[in-house]
Amino acid sequence: MAYSRELIRNFSIIAHIDHGKSTLADRMMELTDTVALRDMENQLLDTMDIERERGITIKSTAVRMFYKHTDGKTYMFNLIDTPGHVDFTYEVSRSLAACEGAVLVVDATQGIEAQTLANVYLALDNSLEILPVINKIDLPSAQPEYVIKEIEDVIGIPAEDAPQISAKNGINVDSVLAQIVDLVPAPQGDENNPLQALIFDSIYDNFKGAVSYVRVKEGTVKAGTRIKFMATGKEFDVTEVGVFTPAPKPTDSLCAGEVGYIAASIKSVADTKVGDTITTAQNGAKEPLPGYKQANPMVFCGIYPADGAYYENLRDALDKLVLNDAALSFEPETSLALGFGFRCGFLGLLHMEIIQERLEREFDLDLVTTAPSVIYKIKRTDGEEMLLDNPSNMPPVTEIEYMEEPLVEAHIMTPSEYVGTIMELCQEKRGIFIDMTYIEETRVNIKYELPLNEIIYDFFDQLKSRSRGYASYDYELKKYIKSDLVKLDFLLNGDMCDALSIIVHRDKAYAKGRAVAEKLQEVIPRQQFEIPIQAAIGGKIIARETVRAVRKDVLAKCYGGDITRKKKLLEKQKEGKKRMRQVGSVSVPSEAFMSVLRIN
Amino acid sequence: MSGLYIHIPFCKRKCNYCDFISFTDKADCFIASYCDALKKEMSFYSQKLQSYSFDTVFIGGGTPSVIDEKFISDILFSLKQNFNITTNAEITIEANPGTLSEEKLLSYRKTGINRLSLGVQSMDDKVLKAIGRIHNAVEAIKSFNLARKCGFDNINIDLMYALPMQTDESLLDTLNKVITLAPEHISAYSLILEERTKLFDMYEQGKIVLPNDDEAYSLHRKCIEYLTQNGYSRYEISNYAKSGRECKHNLNYWQNGEYLGLGIAAHSAIRISENLERWSNTSIFDDYIQNPQAEETHDIILHDEEIFEFVMLSLRKTEGFSLSSFKERFNESFMERYSDKLKKLIDKGWIIVSDDWLRLTDGGLDMQNEVLTELL
Repeated sequence: MAYSRELIRNFSIIAHIDHGKSTLADRMMELTDTVALRDMENQLLDTMDIERERGITIKSTAVRMFYKHTDGKTYMFNLIDTPGHVDFTYEVSRSLAACEGAVLVVDATQGIEAQTLANVYLALDNSLEILPVINKIDLPSAQPEYVIKEIEDVIGIPAEDAPQISAKNGINVDSVLAQIVDLVPAPQGDENNPLQALIFDSIYDNFKGAVSYVRVKEGTVKAGTRIKFMATGKEFDVTEVGVFTPAPKPTDSLCAGEVGYIAASIKSVADTKVGDTITTAQNGAKEPLPGYKQANPMVFCGIYPADGAYYENLRDALDKLVLNDAALSFEPETSLALGFGFRCGFLGLLHMEIIQERLEREFDLDLVTTAPSVIYKIKRTDGEEMLLDNPSNMPPVTEIEYMEEPLVEAHIMTPSEYVGTIMELCQEKRGIFIDMTYIEETRVNIKYELPLNEIIYDFFDQLKSRSRGYASYDYELKKYIKSDLVKLDFLLNGDMCDALSIIVHRDKAYAKGRAVAEKLQEVIPRQQFEIPIQAAIGGKIIARETVRAVRKDVLAKCYGGDITRKKKLLEKQKEGKKRMRQVGSVSVPSEAFMSVLRIN
Repeated sequence: MSGLYIHIPFCKRKCNYCDFISFTDKADCFIASYCDALKKEMSFYSQKLQSYSFDTVFIGGGTPSVIDEKFISDILFSLKQNFNITTNAEITIEANPGTLSEEKLLSYRKTGINRLSLGVQSMDDKVLKAIGRIHNAVEAIKSFNLARKCGFDNINIDLMYALPMQTDESLLDTLNKVITLAPEHISAYSLILEERTKLFDMYEQGKIVLPNDDEAYSLHRKCIEYLTQNGYSRYEISNYAKSGRECKHNLNYWQNGEYLGLGIAAHSAIRISENLERWSNTSIFDDYIQNPQAEETHDIILHDEEIFEFVMLSLRKTEGFSLSSFKERFNESFMERYSDKLKKLIDKGWIIVSDDWLRLTDGGLDMQNEVLTELL
């Protein structure tokens, strides 16, 4: 039997890193007896190690709670936890679209931060009711009055009744729960209408297959229902529906207004795309829910096992990750320097880092990765068009009529004092200014068109450091434009290293060539001979650095007490040697292949 | 051959580069209880090592010369009671020039100490100050002469190079002054910057400048050149001696011989049944006082490891090792065991085999770590 919609509240929590999102979620679960105290593990929702360590949420999760309000009624809360980074903006927007309200947590000692704002605007776009909450009120440096005013000024929503809480110490958290009942609207919809369920995330389960996390907007779904994914047109029979307690728990049905999961023995998450609408195969909804977009990889890089013998292990690991991540793509490639590996596609840089880290941790692989690249379009002189995602496959210049590179529209939100330095950054990155609007007196939204290949290296880090962390940005692919691009190669002791090649704009080639050569000079250890490092375009050398030869490598002292230590030192040295790649006569450490990302 | 090492973990102050176990804050009563603990440890091993006779004794630190000489004679007395020490044993004590007196030196001689190792490090006061030594160059020379006067006819001088504030001229001047003193033995160590030392922190904070690798290399070559030209033969990577005056105690380490280390954090290597076993004592003062047998690490060195250690240590000596003695000790041929790797190392000009001896070339000695990682 459907839970009365009047008593359902669906919401998410928006907060900057470290402002206390996960802690507040944990307290809510405690207060509603959702999780027995003995099972409390700090930060229940972020289940991946990487999430807990970095303080970011990568996958969306949800949890159902029951809250007894002062009006005597028991309300069903569905808290949907959302990812929080520019690479996952689309995922965030779908999670928010699954809610009617959002709790906005602001640190009373820090005030609003840029990243939070981007998500607040996403929530407002989805017509969510925003409930501001002032956290860390118990800290001596808390300035709640100031933060309340800031919320009102910057976001333009009233905040004087915002609960002032300490999630960590459990102060006032119950008033947040009460406000959720009072202020977040109950969901609309009718369980007798044709089914419309919004997928806000999906995971792969070894037993159940690809499981869709859904918000049912209209209608009812239960085990046995034949369902259809409206974007892909594929049909499946539902094997199980259920809710998050937070552990998955099967239920008889999911009705309009509810949040839960649908399993249908689906083989891959590629069939359960975030943002897609699930309906019934017969008498289904005529229209999907608005907002579906295909998530396409925008950034590519080569991933190789540090030890060639682990190629098959790497393939198995990627196969497993792809089951769980529809935005990840990969195909085999080979490199002279690195041997057999894979060219992988990602949503963005963070997505790339996360996948690399998961491969290393969850699958215990040692990896070598190459610099990221975007997809270029090449018109060849023979009239053929090709897509290029690996610089070393670029045809000779004589066979290229012209090249095109992807351009994005970037929205940068920043306090007005940093406008100057951020505009400089965008100009350096070949940006084209579109416009600038004041959101309010001290906050500006700047719009630029930027080549994606400039953003993927260090744009985000630069933006953060130039704005003391206050600026945030978001981008979407706009178009491809013709561009004067060249392939920049690097030679080590005269041998070209294909894995180091990058494609850059001609105007940037010299500076980039010099910077990468300098970086390589730093990271390539001295060897027994002198190593020239050269940057070249075509056959022309544009920069040169030298790694001096090492002439002494011996421990000055070795007596009785030093023997064990000395042996360990040698073993480490040997291990380090093993991890290096041989490019011609030169041993190159794996981090060298990412040098282009680490230049200032 | 086997050696006895005794660690005296006390110093007037800790030098900036030092990461050894030593204490600067212990009153006399702690020193007395440390000596008692040493004696307890001696009697523990005395029974077990009855079959051993020791050819060398080395009292190191720390600064053995910082404590009252009565403790030293006391320790040596017990040592002779507990172990068989050969009549002509080499008995060395380490000393800091800032801590010596005629009474001390005479007392050392009386208790049978016949070799003195003097920590001079540099003859440049600016350098000495920069590395936190408690003495100056004049005191070092005075101490040396005093030791000669008291009858020490076998003296080592410890030097360091690649130090902060140390120029080429400063090093040459130091070498000159040392050679004028004509010690029987000179150790010259390139500075090893160890973590958890004051010098390391100072370097990390940019408070001191150290020579870069190329400069350190040039200092190193200068040292070798200058000392060998002046009658000191280089018999180990950092050790030089007049003919017949090599340090027997240290040679035993480089032959991967057996030794018993007594005292806090001391290391021992003794063959027990078939295998060599290596252990280290606790490095916590109170633990050692309470239980002098308390161990921090204990490894059993298996056959293959012992071979590697032997190679690693033997190749520190300029003479290398004899192939027949290798075969005798390990029951297999070195050349056969490493046949696949040797060619590369010989081709690089790092290893030379002549008659029965295998040794590193001059270039090979400089690149010893590379050679060893190939053989590992």
